[in-house]
Amino acid sequence: MFRKYYKEGFSLNAVFPKVDRREFGFVSFEGQMVRHKGFQNLEEVRVFMQSFVPRDAYYSCAYYENPMAEMERKCWLGADLVFDIDADHIPTPCNKVHDEWICYNCGFAGRGITPKNCPVCNGEKFETSTWLCQDCLDAAKNEAIKLLDILRSDFGFSDKDIHVYFSGHRGYHVHIENELIQGLDSISRKEIVDYICGIGFDGKIGNSTGWHARIRKGLYRFLSKADKEDFIRMGLKRNIVKALLNNREKILMNLEHGEIWRSVKGVGLKTWGKIFDRCAQEEFVKIDTVVTADIHRLVRMPHTLHGKTGFKKVEFQISRMSDFDPFKEAIAFKKGTVKILAYNSPQFRIGEETFGPYKNVRVELPIAAALLLICKGKAEVYQENV
Amino acid sequence: MQPTTVKFTKNDLAKYPFLKEAAEYVKTLDLKIEDIASPEFTQILERAEERIEEAILYAIITRKTRNEEIEILSFPTAIMLAAATQIPFIKRRYALAEAKQAYNNMKNEPPEKILAIANNFRWKITTKIDADAPYQFKLHFTDYLRNTTNLREKKWKLVNRLLKNGNVYLTLNETARLLSEEIRKHMEKRLEIKDLPEFPKKIAEIVEKIKSLTLEKVSRAEIEGISKTQKKDAFPPCIKALYDAASKGRHISHIGRFTLTSFLVNIGMPTENIIELFRNSSDFNERLTRYQVEHIAGERGSRTRYKPPKCDTLKTHGLCIETDETCRKVNHPLTYYKMK
Repeated sequence: MFRKYYKEGFSLNAVFPKVDRREFGFVSFEGQMVRHKGFQNLEEVRVFMQSFVPRDAYYSCAYYENPMAEMERKCWLGADLVFDIDADHIPTPCNKVHDEWICYNCGFAGRGITPKNCPVCNGEKFETSTWLCQDCLDAAKNEAIKLLDILRSDFGFSDKDIHVYFSGHRGYHVHIENELIQGLDSISRKEIVDYICGIGFDGKIGNSTGWHARIRKGLYRFLSKADKEDFIRMGLKRNIVKALLNNREKILMNLEHGEIWRSVKGVGLKTWGKIFDRCAQEEFVKIDTVVTADIHRLVRMPHTLHGKTGFKKVEFQISRMSDFDPFKEAIAFKKGTVKILAYNSPQFRIGEETFGPYKNVRVELPIAAALLLICKGKAEVYQENV
Repeated sequence: MQPTTVKFTKNDLAKYPFLKEAAEYVKTLDLKIEDIASPEFTQILERAEERIEEAILYAIITRKTRNEEIEILSFPTAIMLAAATQIPFIKRRYALAEAKQAYNNMKNEPPEKILAIANNFRWKITTKIDADAPYQFKLHFTDYLRNTTNLREKKWKLVNRLLKNGNVYLTLNETARLLSEEIRKHMEKRLEIKDLPEFPKKIAEIVEKIKSLTLEKVSRAEIEGISKTQKKDAFPPCIKALYDAASKGRHISHIGRFTLTSFLVNIGMPTENIIELFRNSSDFNERLTRYQVEHIAGERGSRTRYKPPKCDTLKTHGLCIETDETCRKVNHPLTYYKMK
């Protein structure tokens, strides 16, 4: 199926600059990683991929003097600034439902975000099984929107520097191609990460940094609609909650003029600090911190298929961010059907059509839907018709 | 960006001899090493020697702007002398001292002059036009980040700054501080001269004098890099034993070397100093040691900076030799160090 895609539907028109300076890496269907590959132009890449047919294809965000040399001799020249937003890092109600992990060591299993250490044996390796649904992709999209706002208004990147992609799986990638940031080292990139994630943020309420202004806006939104439960969940006492709710109008008015910390009797700086922190957490962006700081990172190549879904990594205009539909626009195969044996799958949507849930049934599905289930290990081809 | 109309005076060049204009001025005089050793340049040589002495003793350099000519010419001469000692400590210390003095001067300069110095280093900087104080400068975040990696205070973290449209807002004092970082790095680069020329006897003598002054006045620990920032007293017993063994050139097991190196890296000892520490070892191989130390420091390979093993692991490998009061409260050598 992947072969068919790379033969017929695949083109790599001017998707990223400096092809001849980058390292390429490919994972075969047998799970083998081939890296330190180099190509002169995109046509060479395409020809290679047609015969290799990778499950996953990557290129380096870095540019090298010798992209094909071993790591120590590559001679690093610079790198794009890359951000990765993945539902894996965002707590959503849906990953409690459809994401599972099993500890390699002791077999203990759970649902939701995979922990760092197994709660039973402290092991660090897990087998995970994740699914992608509307909710987690929306959560990822929401983070991407926050990220883009910061990149544009705080860091001052223009729309022509910023490239936004759907990753092909559960998230979004943002690449910045701009001369000024190419030379930044790993430590500087980590500072940018910390800025975006709010790590090391000095949360004194009265300060006047960019973050303080942004959080104050969030504070306004929160305070104008928060109910009793919201406050109590934050661990505030009942009498304080009452004071807050009774004085909502006054607080909001004072907030517009900048000062709220003394506006309600009985509500002290400590309480405000709690509320402020909660709003701050909401504003900070949940990105994968490792990816951005890694100046040698291999990232998924645009227009190639994701081995876990059969979806394409696709670029789209920033202005289309809010109405971009990954279940429609990342579909590589639009025609044909295939018969599969589906073991166990939740309900899902491809384009306008909804499928499943399935449990040990034979079904004939459009290729894209069948491919998703097969890539996810939730189905196999039923007849020899592929 | 507004063009800088400020022209540096000769007095400015004496105060900021690292400026391009100062270097150009020196170039016009077309001097050679032999000339500097000649009698008519005695004053310059003396002043150059004094600069480095002041750096070693007080970590700051006085500005004697009354004789501008000597001041300007003694700067490149001092760089040559410091480089000739080939002692990393002296080079670092001299760069630091010049940068510090530049900071002290810049703090009191008008914004236009600060701007002119910043332009000298090709900073993307503008003076802030709108009036909402307290900031006076807008600096592009890439220049900002390049010069804050060594500053540990919370206020320098980008997340705690006002960042708008790619620019970080700075006061004049903060800008001067970041410029002094730039100057320090610029100097360290200039001091990295690889091929040193053959020096006339007079100069070689001065170089020797500076070296012996350093050994005399500065404690060995400090030259090795265990200065204010790294306290040997706070080492846990296991590390202390490894450290002593290394400096005496005794054999240390592989895991022992890893433990010591990763510990020193994590408390901020420069790689250079750590390599020096292993020099006494009988099987010392500089290239290999450098590679391994840099790897552990995260300057190579995976770019992860390794942490030393925890106490349990050290016990397993027989590196935990004795436990004191503090040891009982911690389970990691770095925690021990932090507690002390």
